[in-house]
Amino acid sequence: MIPDVRGYLREARMPHILCPGCGHGIVLGALLRAVHTLGIPQDRLAVVAGIGCSSRLAGYVDACTLHTTHGRALAFATGLKLARPELVVIVLTGDGDGLSIGGNHLIHAARRNVDLTCILFNNAVYGMTGGQVAPTTQPGWLASTAPYGHPEPAFDGCALVQGAGGTFVARSMAYDPLGLQSILTEALQHRGFSYVEVLTDCPVYFGRYNRLGEGPELLWSQKARFGEVGQMLQAKRFVTPDGTAPAGRVEGLRFGILHRSERPEFTRVCWSQVKQGGNP
Amino acid sequence: MQTRNVLVVGVGGQGVLLASNVLAAACLARGYDVKKSEVKGMAQRGGAVVSFVRYGQQVHSPLVERGRADLVLSLEWAEALRWAAYLRPGGVLAVDLVRILPPAAQLDHRTWQASYPAVEVERLRQAGWDVRPYEASRRAAELGDGRMANVVLLGAVSRELEFAAEEWERALREVLPQKVVEANLRAFHAGRQLPQAAVFPAEARRAAARAFRVEVTPSWCKGRGCGICVRVCPEEVLVFGPDDRVRAASPDRCTGCQLCQLLCPDFAVVVREEVAVG
Repeated sequence: MIPDVRGYLREARMPHILCPGCGHGIVLGALLRAVHTLGIPQDRLAVVAGIGCSSRLAGYVDACTLHTTHGRALAFATGLKLARPELVVIVLTGDGDGLSIGGNHLIHAARRNVDLTCILFNNAVYGMTGGQVAPTTQPGWLASTAPYGHPEPAFDGCALVQGAGGTFVARSMAYDPLGLQSILTEALQHRGFSYVEVLTDCPVYFGRYNRLGEGPELLWSQKARFGEVGQMLQAKRFVTPDGTAPAGRVEGLRFGILHRSERPEFTRVCWSQVKQGGNP
Repeated sequence: MQTRNVLVVGVGGQGVLLASNVLAAACLARGYDVKKSEVKGMAQRGGAVVSFVRYGQQVHSPLVERGRADLVLSLEWAEALRWAAYLRPGGVLAVDLVRILPPAAQLDHRTWQASYPAVEVERLRQAGWDVRPYEASRRAAELGDGRMANVVLLGAVSRELEFAAEEWERALREVLPQKVVEANLRAFHAGRQLPQAAVFPAEARRAAARAFRVEVTPSWCKGRGCGICVRVCPEEVLVFGPDDRVRAASPDRCTGCQLCQLLCPDFAVVVREEVAVG
């Protein structure tokens, strides 16, 4: 049986603030199951978040949590990890928070290879502020600031992070919660900067503007919207974490663990300098 | 020599026809007259498949009469019950204890023990048949491919028939595609060594009676605006209550797939297994 992970929630603060049918909670569930599987104690788990719908989730996790300024979650998390290297630090960020407002923090965290797990919720829209386009909105989709269809190309967050030097890069979707859970389990065990982009849904803005239906339809439509991956899911060839599975490619997005490599980890490098007689 | 009557039965896809072809090939190699007839129309729908094999000095008709079969080789338990009446008194019923739920019974998964005939080997023995239960599918899976259950079961009964091991091997080589011959020869010999399943495993009976409890926290549920769990449940256990929140209307139908729990964004649904006491 799949474990009940509500023990990791601040139950007094529930129900959470997110809209009915929002996919973010599914991602949080997968994350908490991964944490549960790895047996990470709650006082050793730090969840850092910026601003946005996804970032609100940090407040519901019964662990050491830090709700920071817009786009700066990774900067706060880097400092936290440097000061307290024994903590397992998870950063929850959205596509606007992590790729737009905090885009530079993302590429520099990847460049430094800080031992963080960054989970980027990609719902292709700014949900909290009213459905404006995000850097991940694919061309042609509608948003409150793109009533005739978005004219710009979108960021591929995974390619960006890999290019900046991230050592663990993966993409999954809320529609595949078990596959997502295993990817997150791998990401949490990785020593170095791990980036997991998760496709989730905003039925209130993205779904409504693009006439994709409400929560269930939008969730189901993930498999169709991402064609080849959807075919894999329908054929029950789920996106597997070992990286050997054929990654699908539609709308320029690839799924599964896309990149994994080894590089010196920032925290360790800094602390070894300190121990070698710098003036801490 | 008296004509021998054999039935090979099972569910579509289990390899009934392949097993009977192997037997027929062995008979032909001996120089027997063989006649074979099969009913396989529903095979692709998971339906019943039967293959009659009659062999001897001279065989006039391919069909076996009810009450005249010397051997029924059944790859599935319910099919064994269906065809057992074709056995002559004292006839051998070799059966793989694997249980395949017929599509028609799948409307109600949880009570499948009621829809699916119970395994009562003793009652069949009382009817005067020589019942030999085997865990052929399990053995085949241990050997790396559960699809070889037919050859494992054939191996288990091969000593009952007059052919020597070498004759069986030649027949297997003749019938099987080249790339699976070696694996199937291993399966055949594993079948020859396979002991009868002593008793029907009690845990299988218990597994069929698993019960689940669907717990919904109404104050966490976002209700009709979300509705993911209601839409995803294959058994339609969950409905919207009068307060628009989700509730489990027919929890006894829950099969414990936990899709609702996995896909509930609000942590409002938890599925627990009821632990039977005693």
